[in-house]
Amino acid sequence: MKMSTVVRTTTKLISPFLVTYAVYLMVYGHLSPGGGFQAGVVLAVSVILLITSHGYKKVRKRFKFKEVGMIENISAVFLVSLGLIGFMFGSFFYNFLTKGKFGSVISGGIIPLFNVSIGLKVGAAFTFVFYILLRWVESD
Amino acid sequence: MIPLLVACPLLFAFLVSLFDVLGVRAKITRFLFLTGAISPWIVFFGIREKVPLDEIVGGYAKTAGIQVSLDYINVYFMLAELILFFAVSIYSIEYFSKHRKNGKIYSLLLLMHTGLLGAFISRDLFNYYIYMEIASVSAFALIAISEEKGAKRAAYKYLILSLTASYLFVFAVGMIYLKTGYLNAELIRGSILPSREIDVAAGIAFSALLLKAGVFPLHSWLPDAHSKAPDPVSALLSGIVVKVPVYGMLLLYLSLPLTKRFLTVLMVVAFASIFFGIVLMIVERNIKKFLAYSTVSQMGYVVLGVSTSNILGSVYYAFAHALIKGALFLSVGALIRAQRSKEIRNLSYRGDAILMLSILILSLAIGGVSPFVGAYGKSLLFEGMKKPLEYILYIAGIGTLVAFTRLNYYLLKSRENFNAYSLQRMPPFLLSLLVLALGVYYGQRIDYMDFVLIVSAVIGFVLLRRSGIIEKDIRYRFSKTVGEEINIFMTVFLLFTLFLLLQNF
Repeated sequence: MKMSTVVRTTTKLISPFLVTYAVYLMVYGHLSPGGGFQAGVVLAVSVILLITSHGYKKVRKRFKFKEVGMIENISAVFLVSLGLIGFMFGSFFYNFLTKGKFGSVISGGIIPLFNVSIGLKVGAAFTFVFYILLRWVESD
Repeated sequence: MIPLLVACPLLFAFLVSLFDVLGVRAKITRFLFLTGAISPWIVFFGIREKVPLDEIVGGYAKTAGIQVSLDYINVYFMLAELILFFAVSIYSIEYFSKHRKNGKIYSLLLLMHTGLLGAFISRDLFNYYIYMEIASVSAFALIAISEEKGAKRAAYKYLILSLTASYLFVFAVGMIYLKTGYLNAELIRGSILPSREIDVAAGIAFSALLLKAGVFPLHSWLPDAHSKAPDPVSALLSGIVVKVPVYGMLLLYLSLPLTKRFLTVLMVVAFASIFFGIVLMIVERNIKKFLAYSTVSQMGYVVLGVSTSNILGSVYYAFAHALIKGALFLSVGALIRAQRSKEIRNLSYRGDAILMLSILILSLAIGGVSPFVGAYGKSLLFEGMKKPLEYILYIAGIGTLVAFTRLNYYLLKSRENFNAYSLQRMPPFLLSLLVLALGVYYGQRIDYMDFVLIVSAVIGFVLLRRSGIIEKDIRYRFSKTVGEEINIFMTVFLLFTLFLLLQNF
């Protein structure tokens, strides 16, 4: 599946911006609309756009199956262990990092960290879903 | 400390998955899987002394946070889950060792462990729903992973019906939230007033949970899903996954004002389920389907406990049934693995004394014969019940024993030499010894009334055999395609929901 030059160039231009937007949504998730899940979906879309325009086989060479799986699992392990670290400070999922002025990025404590790990987990999982579904469709 | 029960297996589920992706040796993933399966036990031993225990996750206020607790309602569900999952994890190490994707399977099993534990500790309707979904989603995947013909179809049917029920359940939870402003069961109880909306929410939520529990008119996904799954997964599904909706029913019972008429309808449904399961057990030829129909029948007893406001009876019966049915599936799985057949007539346990003993003990225990733990659950269930209902239950007990007499008759009749793996023989045997030990611990003695029951069951079996019903080959099939089948089941489900809703008018 290879689309025209116009589409390929445009998606190549858009994808990096989508990644930036996803990072913004992750980091500022507790201050503005957004959050981990949305950021993850946007992150996955940046890869899915490339898949639709360039074809699955080419994209898979850059974003490898194994690496995507590793990102997914490492972020999930990080998420649960953040909750477990909270036990040392009192209870499960206790917010032990509250510092800074109200309204600044670091005032969220562990919430931005959560958003980042959820974003990576969701993004990697969505990419995975598309990889696995496209394995059956792809025939070029 | 309670959330640690759920967090440990979740962490190990992801670790197993990570190490599987990294491609480390199978020994290490197996070790991590076992650690994850045992880790809740360690936490449980740490908190067992303080057991009526209550906690809000993260230390927030009660109105904002998620409440988790361990008390008389759920501690037995927890124990059943922990014991059964431990047995299943040992069994599945042998069972899945040759499987190509065993890392993924271990990870899914641990996720199911997480979901079950999380659902059982939560006192918050929405949190309960989330964890129930984690358990069911892993169940769909674990059924579909089986290589047997028809497993994908069974998993698909289960997926569609179970997800529809989940959406309706979360819709009902939303209605309760709208009326009361809380999701916490205790706070709902404190602020609820009887109203039309609450009645509708109760009807929808109960019909969704009855589908997930596999009770009679909504049971149609259960026999396929439970019989096509790999054996250890069947043990988990039939043993404990169907108990999660029962816990949800108890939560709803404790938090919503249910009308008398609604509970009566629930009781009728429970009785219908008990007898329907027994009738199909008597004619079924596939041994795993036989056990699955037995689950339909036994879930009737558990729901009966809810409908007669007998929470303790329901809890203890669910505990007993989880252990017995899990062990039955595991021992039958060892037979099937060794003899490569699922037909009751071709199987035999004569070559193996341990499996023979455990299947005999479990068959007696499931019929409610003392001194096994099933009898204790049954005696609690009978407490405060009206006389005519008690006699009907005695007849149902004889029916269960007739069906299990048939199973043991065929297993005794044919003789075949076989070698079962010792890792597959020991877990069900230990579970059946536990069933005996717990029965003695709860003060069950040998009761002469039970001999009457067993003798009448044997006589009933001989009569049925003479009449030729048992030998007949009964096959029925509604339709050819999956789509038609799902449409029929969905219509039944929606009609049943409508029926429950109309009860409160």
